[in-house]
Amino acid sequence: MTRTPLRPLARILDARAKGENPDLIERENLRQRHEVMRDKAIGRARFRLGILSVSFAVAFAAIGLRMGYMSSETPMEPKSEAGASSIQAMRSDIVDREGRILATNMLTNSLYVQTADMVDPPRVAHELAALFPELSEEDLLRRFTDGRSFLWIRKMLSPEQQQAVHDIGDPGLLFGPREMRLYPNGNLAAHILGGASFGDEGVASAELIGVAGIEKALDLRLRDPAQAGVPLELTIDLTLQATMEEVLGAGMTMMQAKGAAGILMNVQTGEILAMASLPDFDPNDRPSPIVAKGADPADSPLFNRAVQGVYELGSTFKIFAAAQAMELGLVNPDTQIDTSSLQIGKKRITEFDGHNYGPTKSVAEIMEVSSNIGTGHIALMIGAERQQAFLTSLGLLEASPVELIEAPGAKPLRPARWPDIVTVTASFGHGISSSPLNLAAAYASVANGGIRVSPTLLKRTEAMKGIRVISPSVSRDAVDMLRRVVVSGTATLADVPGYRVGGKTGTADKPRPGGGYYTDRVVNTFAGVFPTDNPQYVLIVTMDEPSGTSGGGEVRSTAGWTAVPVAGEMIKRMAPLMGMVPVVETPPENEITAVKN
Amino acid sequence: MSFLEYRLKSVPTGVSKIFYLNWALFLVVTAVAAIGWLMLYSIAGGDIETWAEPQMKRYAAGFVISLAVALTPIWFWRNMSLLGYGLTFVLLLIVEFFGTVGMGAQRWIDLGFMRLQPSELMKVTLVMMLAAYYDWLDDKRISRPLWVLVPVLLIIVPTVLVLMQPNLGTSVMLIIAGAAVMFAAGVSWWYFGAVALIGGAAVASVFFTRGTPWQFLHDYQYKRIDTFLDPSADPLGAGYNIIQAKIALGSGGWTGKGFMQGTQSRLNFLPEKHTDFIFTTLGEEFGFVGAFALLILYTLILVFLIWAAIQNKDRFSQLFIIGIAANFFLYIAVNLSMVMGMAPVVGVPLPFLSYGGSATLVLLLAFGLVQSAIVHRPR
Repeated sequence: MTRTPLRPLARILDARAKGENPDLIERENLRQRHEVMRDKAIGRARFRLGILSVSFAVAFAAIGLRMGYMSSETPMEPKSEAGASSIQAMRSDIVDREGRILATNMLTNSLYVQTADMVDPPRVAHELAALFPELSEEDLLRRFTDGRSFLWIRKMLSPEQQQAVHDIGDPGLLFGPREMRLYPNGNLAAHILGGASFGDEGVASAELIGVAGIEKALDLRLRDPAQAGVPLELTIDLTLQATMEEVLGAGMTMMQAKGAAGILMNVQTGEILAMASLPDFDPNDRPSPIVAKGADPADSPLFNRAVQGVYELGSTFKIFAAAQAMELGLVNPDTQIDTSSLQIGKKRITEFDGHNYGPTKSVAEIMEVSSNIGTGHIALMIGAERQQAFLTSLGLLEASPVELIEAPGAKPLRPARWPDIVTVTASFGHGISSSPLNLAAAYASVANGGIRVSPTLLKRTEAMKGIRVISPSVSRDAVDMLRRVVVSGTATLADVPGYRVGGKTGTADKPRPGGGYYTDRVVNTFAGVFPTDNPQYVLIVTMDEPSGTSGGGEVRSTAGWTAVPVAGEMIKRMAPLMGMVPVVETPPENEITAVKN
Repeated sequence: MSFLEYRLKSVPTGVSKIFYLNWALFLVVTAVAAIGWLMLYSIAGGDIETWAEPQMKRYAAGFVISLAVALTPIWFWRNMSLLGYGLTFVLLLIVEFFGTVGMGAQRWIDLGFMRLQPSELMKVTLVMMLAAYYDWLDDKRISRPLWVLVPVLLIIVPTVLVLMQPNLGTSVMLIIAGAAVMFAAGVSWWYFGAVALIGGAAVASVFFTRGTPWQFLHDYQYKRIDTFLDPSADPLGAGYNIIQAKIALGSGGWTGKGFMQGTQSRLNFLPEKHTDFIFTTLGEEFGFVGAFALLILYTLILVFLIWAAIQNKDRFSQLFIIGIAANFFLYIAVNLSMVMGMAPVVGVPLPFLSYGGSATLVLLLAFGLVQSAIVHRPR
């Protein structure tokens, strides 16, 4: 082993000279070097231990803070689904957009019998039959005495009825507490709410389940125990809904129509502010859904015309042809279109009542007078494929996505093939059927600047961020055309001063079940947008088979005389309720002069 | 830089060693244990025999062992490090193949008089092994890759065995405490940076493989992570413990309901009330004041440990004490975080409070070793 020379060699030589042992000095040097290294290692370890200690301290501080936070917090017992194991009903309330109650629960009692405890069955049967006219004395007595030990008498009792039964005083008569669904506004918004009834029934409670409308569509949400205290907020405004139903009912009576429907929708969000269908019903006492043999289910009051009524919507469709043609750059509002004649194969397209609108008219004028021939020509320019794609993009060819159990069943009717003749008739809303709600959404999409709208009954805070169907400028032009229709076209009765209403009328013959059309049965539709300078709302009014007169002696069954004045009355009453301020339109002087020239 | 190179003449010998023990440390540890006995007494509904008495007996036995360990020279224990590590490793293997299955996890060896969890023992022997390794290793080689690989393997191999049991909490503790020893020993910062990076990637991959047949963690472990993120989603299932614990702590308020007055834990709302979730009883009965006082006691113990590590010039002793301090810190931090809903529920007991033999005995053993390092430190 070679010995490494040590650095202070001088000391070793020195030591040798003095006769000392150099190994001792060498060992001392080694020790010193080791101590330096050791001190270095220990110093480093101490420094790193310091870093570790700081991280320990930070973690403990966080834990200490958390302790303080949790101690100052009030603990909440979580609610869980499994916790509510009984069939105790905990159905959420339904409220309108302002929080006003549309549906709630009320405590009531069922009436049942335990025959073993009954003292005097004949007397009980007699007294019960006197109290409840729907019960028969013989039937009750038979059921009391045929050997069964338990039987239900009634699902619900009013407090007065309960007292009367109590006063019979027989120990075999028993009450079972339970919750029932209550619709305090009666018929109001009946088709939206639908109704609820009892599911599993027990002596101590009963399960409430939705049977129609939003009660059934959102049954799971309404029954979710975790949200039992949270009411379901709808987009409906109770005052607007009441106004709509009142005006619609009055109009229906005046026109002697078979039915009527109305929809008021926010064009930006697709929120339905009011939606009515007449005739209606009381959801507290829902009529039987079974219709007489041979009768049309659409005649039942349970039928929701606004959603389930798949109608040919007539000339209200014309604006879609105009909007699409403008979007594709085929026309502008002033482009002149042939309105003299249109022949497809053997079929000749005619105007309503045999009108003749001259050789040509501009697109805007075609909308104004509602020319079938002119619209047909526009549709042929667009072509079948693009037309179908556009109508699909507006949602007119699909069932409405609204949160009602009836909606998915109401599929629009469309022809199997799509030859030119269908292209032409579809452009003015014939041979193709859709629901008023779909029409409302499509008009909202056209009016809001061109963003597709899907209708909803659940509150939506933001505007739709959907697919763009037309550009904002085309939307602007289309709304201007709709305004012109109301100012000087077929819908002048809807021109409510100050609210700048725009819209389009539509009158369609009802199809005969065997094929072909009735000549005397029509569906009138008005699709309106207001205010036209900044579209906010879409209003659809549909009159089913109006047959009366609107004041004059003559029967006038075009939409301009039926649906339009009803819509005008609705806007006149509803606009102030929505906080809209009427703007008095005073056209500038020079413009009037220009028109005169 | 081993101990043998120091002059030992100043190290106390014989019975006089007793006077050189850090009795204050023992006192605080016993105080914490006493709080634990009170809690166990309260949880059992005022019955001492259910949990408090066995726990006191265990503590007494553990304390005697601890004293014996403390009076044995630390260099003897240093020389036993490799043997101890090897033995613990063998026990882990035995548990893996012949262990008693408890609560869905294979963690115990039934010794007859007690159930031993080798994974708990590994927390101490691993730290010993690493400290001995760095005591032996030349200072210049500390950050050389090959010499870094050896301690990494020493940590990883038992961790994998523990993870297979499966016991996520102990696995995490082994890795972090091992890393703390390596860090204190002076391994270059770069290694820790790289591991942090790879660790992040590993965590990402654990979540990425979820739901596939080759997922890394048990479904119950994934569920625990989900529960951590949103306990309210499964209030009667996996989130039950945390929510009940929150209620217990919240209802305790600032000063608590008073001794024996807790309802949340006594009325059997908490299944693990006497073990991992014992802190909730303390929080409910003594409120923030009690809980914070416990935290102060724990901090005091940690300060003692850190001070002992700073004072000690023997490299093995210093690194070993740092490792034990890291372990002790992790027990508390992981347990309290999980009880208070800041971390997933991973099954780490609260030192000296939770009912259970292995953790108490192992911790007393570790504190005995620390005391030995204090007594036999070079002066």
